[in-house]
Parts: sequence; structure tokens; C-alpha cells
Amino acid sequence: MSSAAGPDPSEAPEERRFLSTAEAAALERELLEDYRFGRQQLVELCGHASAVAVTKAFPLPALSRKQRTVLVVCGPEQNGAVGLVCARHLRVFEYEPTIFYPMRSLDLLHRDLTTQCEKMDIPFLSYLPTEVQLINEAYGLVVDAVLGPGVEPGKVGGPCTRALATLKLLSIPLVSLDIPSGWDAETGSDAEDGLRPDVLVSLAAPKRCAGRFSGRHHFVAGRFVPDDVRRKFALRLPGYTGTDCVAAL
Amino acid sequence: MSGVRTLLGLGLLVAGSRLLRIKSETIACRSGPTWWRPQRLNSGGRWDSEVMASTAVKYLSQEEAQAVDQELFNEYQFSVDQLMELAGLSCATAIAKAYPPTSMSRSPPTVLVICGPGNNGGDGLVCARHLKLFGYEPTIYYPKRPNKPLFTALVTQCQKMDIPFLGEMPSEPTMIDELYELVVDAIFGFSFKGDVREPFHSILSVLKGLTVPIASIDIPSGAGTQKVGQGRLGPYPPDSCPHQV
Repeated sequence: MSSAAGPDPSEAPEERRFLSTAEAAALERELLEDYRFGRQQLVELCGHASAVAVTKAFPLPALSRKQRTVLVVCGPEQNGAVGLVCARHLRVFEYEPTIFYPMRSLDLLHRDLTTQCEKMDIPFLSYLPTEVQLINEAYGLVVDAVLGPGVEPGKVGGPCTRALATLKLLSIPLVSLDIPSGWDAETGSDAEDGLRPDVLVSLAAPKRCAGRFSGRHHFVAGRFVPDDVRRKFALRLPGYTGTDCVAAL
Repeated sequence: MSGVRTLLGLGLLVAGSRLLRIKSETIACRSGPTWWRPQRLNSGGRWDSEVMASTAVKYLSQEEAQAVDQELFNEYQFSVDQLMELAGLSCATAIAKAYPPTSMSRSPPTVLVICGPGNNGGDGLVCARHLKLFGYEPTIYYPKRPNKPLFTALVTQCQKMDIPFLGEMPSEPTMIDELYELVVDAIFGFSFKGDVREPFHSILSVLKGLTVPIASIDIPSGAGTQKVGQGRLGPYPPDSCPHQV
């Protein structure tokens, strides 16, 4: 999974490829508290990298006009904020995003990110059809930014839950940010019954449930994680090429 | 590589990479249909400086650049943190494309990032951090630090990543030429007006004598945006093949 030649003898044997939910939260806390990153900085870096991952999995020149249309479904918490940033960068990258963001968070970060998308003429749907065929016909791909690790699926309210139920039946490609929404972040249970994304973009580092991901592409968007933090969490992650902010696993 | 200067047009870059439509009537950059098409700097797309040079580019005046900034802050509700992060990342990416690590002598290549007292300096701090992640070995000189959480946080991020901060500026150009393969000038940006005060006056004098390349963030520090070459100090010699980002 890291570079080709086999385990690096200088790496500690306990370096691993996934984080538990608690470890992911601790890593984020380290970045926020010790490194004094702002939440907005991290969300921007993750959302930007997620959009870059989409461009790698679905390069624009190969897409027809219709295939460039992207539905970004955003939940009310941090995963949704990352989705808003992702939508904005997809717009800049010449895709045509539309956002469904039914449970709008009142916090300033979410409000500002929403304003940025609105000002860039990214449409916000007022409802999502429950008939999945309508989504299959209208969009080329869907980005799932509904639930992150540690968020209880029951917590996010009716419209998000209904959206996820519809997305389970999708036949166009699905890109999940961080974890497939609705999966248990530790065990990946509900992996059979839940969303089946084609692409997973792990933010900072893969979560345990990524072990059960069986889609086409798995990217990690973690270029911004300092080496010392990576070492502290004993993470063995692939090398990034050049200036890339995502790496394929 | 000696004598080559690289100009990173930050206002252009920022506007081009994040906006498709700029509503303010004072900015005519919409009239250039291609220059601000988003450049996919981070998506592995090819970078063709020949193509870039031949595309019509609109240069912004100081007023226009400030108007773009105001629009981003007031209408689009971008925060300074956000824009600074995107700007610094974009600059580091541009630098990495113009001066790839494989083309440099040292491994990792050493870079001196000189940060001024305002937002241009903040861009430099973000840029330095991303250069480190891209495999360079940056050192920062940051003599005048605003006492604001944004800047102290950016400094902390760099310190925690073991990016050294010089206690003093090398006084001779040859000292810099020997230690560093590239200098990033993040001293003054487009809102700079008036006289250059110390310690920056001396710093700019030293930079004028360098043989290693200098990458300037937004504008060569000391250049008046309106009348190039007529600032008190005057910019260091404009480069013969500018890389317009």
C-alpha cells in the first residue's frame, strides 16, 4: 500500500493503516490544539483535497456535459462543511455541482461556506427526490458528505436519513468523504446494507471501517498532516507525489 | 538559474483559482476569457508556461486588487484564514512546479522565506509550511510579527513542523547564496504604500545582490503596483522570463 518495495525496515512494526474513531478525534485535537490549526483551515484543506480526488477519479476531459454535473449531499456537521468546500472547488475545477444541504447548521463556519457557494451560483436544492431514477438521470455523480465518523446516524434528522436511503439505490458513481455515511466507523457494519460508494476519500487518514470498502478508488487526503503527527499515531501511509494533496491507496 | 526571478501574481492566482465570476464593475478581468480559467494546480494537470505566457492576462491595479479582496471578504464571506491558506498553498505549488526538487542541487532543497509584517508575510508562512510538506527545507525570517491570533497560529504551525526561524537576516548576499537555493519574498503585497522602513530596507538591499532565484509572492516587494520602478527603493531587476501564475 505504501511504496512498492515492501516494508521499510526503518518503520516500526506497529505502524498501521487505519485509525480508530477515538484516534482520529485525537489526531484532529492535536492539529487544533498543539499545532494551532484553525478548524476552518482544516476543513478547507480537506474539502479542496476531496475535490482534487474527484478530478482524479473522474477526470474532466473524459466526461460528457451531463457527467460533469455533481450532486453534493451535505449533512449538518463537519462532514457537511467539508462537502460545501468540496462543492466550491469542484465549481472552480469546472464541474457543475448542485448541493442538497437540508439541515443547515447555524455555526459561522457553515454559514460562511454556504454563502461562498451561493455567491458562486452553486444551486441548493430545496428537496431531494425520493425516486432515485431522477437523481441517476440528472447527475453524473454524487458526493456523500452527510455523516463523518462518530456522528450518530439517528442524530441527523429526517431529510438526511431519507437522502441516504435514496442514495443506497444509486446507479451513478458515489464518492464518500471520510467514511460512507451510515457505516459504523469502527466495524464497517452496515457495509452490506448501507451505501456502496465507488470512491472513498479518507480525510487525514483512513478510518477502520475503510477495511471493508470495496469500491474502485480509495484516496487519502492527508498531505497537510505533519510528519511528527503521522509518526505519533504510527500511521503508515503512501507517499504523495510532487505537489499532490491526495494519494491513491 | 542565476538571475531568474519568479513572480507569483497572487491576486490573479487567487481570483483565477477560486472565482468564475467577479461582479464588481471596476474589474475588467472578465474580459479576458481565458486567463482566469481555473488552473488545476493541484490536480496533476500539466503546467505549460508557454501557453500561460501567450494567454491574455489582465494585470490588476492596486485599487482593483483591493476591490477583489474586499469582494471576497464582504460578499463571499471568505475569512482571512481561508484565503491565506489557499494562497500560500497555491504559491508553494507554483514554486514546486517552477523549481521542482529534482532540479535543485541539494536534497532536500533549501529555501529561505522572508516574511513581512502583514498579510503577504502570512502567505509566506503558509507557503513555507506547504513547501516543507512538498519536500523542501524552508527556513523563515520573520522580523516583524503582528500580535494577532492568525499570525501567531501560523508561526506555531511552522515551529511545530521544525521549520527554523532565523534570529537575524544574513547581511551579505553571498551568505544567502551559499546556504539557500531559492528565496521566497513574502515581504510586501499589493497594498504596500509609502516608504520601506527598516529592517526591510536593508533586507531588500541584500536581496538585490542575490544570484539565487527569488520567487515573489504577489509583487516584488518594494515595487509600486502603479508605477513599477518608481518606488523609493525600486524593485530588484524584473526578470527576463516572468512566470505568471
